[in-house]
Parts: sequence; structure tokens; C-alpha cells
Amino acid sequence: MERIVPNYDKNLNRYLVLESSSKYFLLDLKEKTGKIEIAIQDGLDFDFLLINYENVEEVHFDVPENVNVNVASLMHFDKKDLKITADVAKNSTFTTYFADFITSDCKGDITVNLNGEGAICRWHLASLTEKNEHKEFAVNIYHNALNTYSKMDNYGVVRDEAKLVFAGIGKISNGMHGSKAHQNAKIMVFDKNSNGIAKPVLKIDENDVEASHAAVVGKINDEHIFYLTSRGLTEDEAKRLITFGYLKPIIKGFEDEEYKEEIINLIEGKM
Amino acid sequence: MSKLVIKNLHAEVEGKEILKGIDLVINEGETVAVLGPNGHGKSTLLNVIMGHPKYIVTEGSIFLDDENLLEMTTDERARKGLFLGMQNPSEIPGVINSDFLRAAVNSRNEKPVSTYKFYKSLDGATKELKMPFDLATRSLNEGFSGGEKKRNEILQLLLLNPKIAMLDEIDSGLDVDAIQVVADTIKKLQATGMGFMVISHYARLFDLIQPTRAVVIVNGKVAIDGDPKYIKRIDQTGYEFIKTELGIEITKDENNMNTVSIGTCGVKEAIK
Repeated sequence: MERIVPNYDKNLNRYLVLESSSKYFLLDLKEKTGKIEIAIQDGLDFDFLLINYENVEEVHFDVPENVNVNVASLMHFDKKDLKITADVAKNSTFTTYFADFITSDCKGDITVNLNGEGAICRWHLASLTEKNEHKEFAVNIYHNALNTYSKMDNYGVVRDEAKLVFAGIGKISNGMHGSKAHQNAKIMVFDKNSNGIAKPVLKIDENDVEASHAAVVGKINDEHIFYLTSRGLTEDEAKRLITFGYLKPIIKGFEDEEYKEEIINLIEGKM
Repeated sequence: MSKLVIKNLHAEVEGKEILKGIDLVINEGETVAVLGPNGHGKSTLLNVIMGHPKYIVTEGSIFLDDENLLEMTTDERARKGLFLGMQNPSEIPGVINSDFLRAAVNSRNEKPVSTYKFYKSLDGATKELKMPFDLATRSLNEGFSGGEKKRNEILQLLLLNPKIAMLDEIDSGLDVDAIQVVADTIKKLQATGMGFMVISHYARLFDLIQPTRAVVIVNGKVAIDGDPKYIKRIDQTGYEFIKTELGIEITKDENNMNTVSIGTCGVKEAIK
């Protein structure tokens, strides 16, 4: 599988993603600044690898009708302010896998607008927050059309006197019946000087909808540690295995072996 | 020959004393049936030997050969040759069973076992236990049925090959065929000289594995340490004779015992 760099319009700071020999695209934003727009052709499926956007103010996806867009992103850089936005049109699916290994404090602001009937967003974020870092991710999904669907999964591990906040908002506007908004947030807190906060919010202004949220914040289960150590693993090994199990599922969104490997190394190396 | 020696062991959980002076010796090669009414300390004893952090030893000693287990962490005790097959094995999401098993096997080896060798022994062990191989590739115990969890415990026992294996109600949740499979594995390991301490409420498993001794724990102490014929007697007549013949009053838990039923751990219910 080879990734193609889409056409880039310098004046508009915009990538134009059209049908080509591969559906796999690389968005390496190394030299880019400002707001970057990714405009996608309708009717096709695309898979993006989004990397090196530490100097970019905002990354915006314009998802037209009838497309399946998959975005996998490794964030391994310093970044104080992160802004990701997307507009999703009718009968399209916007699926994301963000692997957060950002090495600084970070305020993440993510907004997905489901603007067309039947639009879907599947949001996945896995965050490793450590070494006094303070990260806050606000993930907002707005259901602005009928029969829209969202599923938000935020997973985090916080350790070494760090702080991690997941604020998830699912909003279903009045009249947007048949819509479904689901949220799931889990934070594992490694030590007592670290802090994890999950704030799931559902704003529902319509009766005929389905909505749910689940939030779990806790330390590693002592019974789990006992179980693993009773088989001969040291406590550190047990914790590493549990952490690994917590963050590893994010790699299923990555098609590229080298990035799967890098994420595994980041999880393992950092423990 | 390894020997586990427990002297005057007292242990408490959340301020409540459960073990009140246990004296017991287990030799490698023996199979000891551990019996006793619910809530009197059977599971606690096994957990204390393994080093569960919830239980606090207030007095006494546990030695494996010349080594003081109470000074060791749980993983050190495991590497010395102890194994605890749990009553309620933890479900650990995301941790792949085979990754965990391999890490456990490697914790005992100086050099990591080769991938090929490991999968070969895993394949052999799952076949022996009539387990679907895909259980090894799933998250550890997550979504496993009660019987699958227990077989997974025996799978670990096979792969880790301890000196003394403690099995806490390993037969609960198993159907008749599965009990036979588990018993066959235990018998095979008995023949290699492995020692066993086995808690069960049912005579069926004991009929199959033929313990060499029976130990009855009442009121946090060893009331009987002797002939395996007690297994049959307790199965048929209960624990009443301990009072009438030995003069030991069986303490009823002051908490509501109605919450305790077959298949739940008496101690865990009692301390709720």
C-alpha cells in the first residue's frame, strides 16, 4: 500500500483530494502553518494518515456526500493548541483514530458537524499523558440533520503527576429525530498525584433519539495486578501489559505497519 | 522435595481476623483436600500464601523450603514455584491471553522462550484441555464463560509447571465432561510430583484426583489434618460431627449468611 500526497493549493492552504490510483493519502503537514483545509471528492472512500501538524492552527476536513473517510493520526510533538474540525454531509462516514503522544501541555478543541441526513462520526482518541503534562480534549459532535449517528471513544492513561481531561459533548438539535449519540470515556490513573477527569455531556433537544454515555476514571485494579503478578510477572510488567491493553486498540485504525510499530514502541518505551 | 511450612498464621482483612493460627505442612507430591464451612478461611489461606495485598498477616510464618514467603512479593512467590488457580479469575480487557501467558512463562526463564516453541506448547496445552485455540488470542478472560475461565486457569498451571499448585474451587462452573478434563490434567501433574492444595465443595473432583490428605479449616484454624476419608464423610453428613466429636463450636458469621451460596466465596460475601 502506497500513500499519495494530494494536490495542494498554496494560495488557499487547501489540499484537494481526488480519485487516483490509490485511496490512501498522506497528509504530512511538516512545513505548513495556519488553517489547512482538506477538500474531498464525493462518492469515493479515502484513508488518510495525518502527521507532523505541530505548527498548524487548525485542520479542517470537508467531507462531501456519500464518502467513507478514515483518518489515522499520530500526534508525537509539542503542541499547546490543537484544533480539528470536520463538516460531514449526507450519507457519509467520518472515522478517526487519534493517537495522542503529544509531549507538552495541550488544549484540544475538536468539532464535528453532522450536517447531512445519515451522516456518521466514529471518533477514537487514545491519550498518554505524563510528566506533569496537562491535557484537555474537548470533543464536540453536533447532530444538525436527521438520522445522524455518532460514537465517541476517548481512552487515556495518566501518570507522573499529570492531568488529563476529556470533555465530550454530543448535541442533537431540535427536530433531528432518529439521531443517535453515544459516548464512552475511560481514564486510567497510575499514581495518586495524577488526575483524570471525564465530563460526558449530552445536549438533547429532540424526543425521538437514542443517547448514552459512560465514563470510568480509576486507578489500576489491584485484583488485576494480583492476578498478573501471581503468575510471575513483576508489578511493573503487569502495569505495562495493562497500559498496553488500554492504548493499543487505537492501532487498528492505522493501515501502515511502520506507524503501528511506532505507536507500540511509544506505549512500551514510555512505560 | 519442596515443602511449604505454615506456622501459627494469623491474617485479617479490613480489620477482621479470618485466620486465627493455622499450622500446616504441605509437601511436594502430596494432594491435600482443603475443606471447611463457608467463611472460615479456606480461600483466605490460599490468598495469603500467594500474597494478596488485601490480607494482612498479623502473626506467624510461611516458609517454602528455607525461604520466608512473607518477605517476598507475589511475583517472587510465583517464581519460587507457587501457583494459585483462582475462584474468580480477573477479566482484563485489552491484555491478550497469549501475550500474558508468554510473559508469565518468560518470567521464569533467563532467556525468553522462542515464539515457535511457545506457540507449540500453547497449542499442545489447549488441545489437551479441549479448549478452542482462539481463547488464547482473545482478551484475558474477558467474555469467557465460567467454564472457559477455569480451563484458562488450568492452561496456565500446565504452562507454568509450579512446585505446589493451589486450586480454589477450580471445579465450580464446570460441567461433568470439563471436570473430567481438568481432573485428567491434575492427575498427569500429580504423577510428575507436583503438590496440590485443592478447595472444592464437591466430592466429584476429589473422587477423580484422589487426595492423599484432608485438611478441614474451622474458625480460622486447622480442625482436622489427616485421612482423606473425611472427604466422603463431610460430603455425606456435613460438618456437624466436628462439634459432636471434636467439641469445636462452628462459629456462625454474625453477618447475614443468606448472601452466601454455592459458587460464591464465603469470605468475600461476609466482609461486604
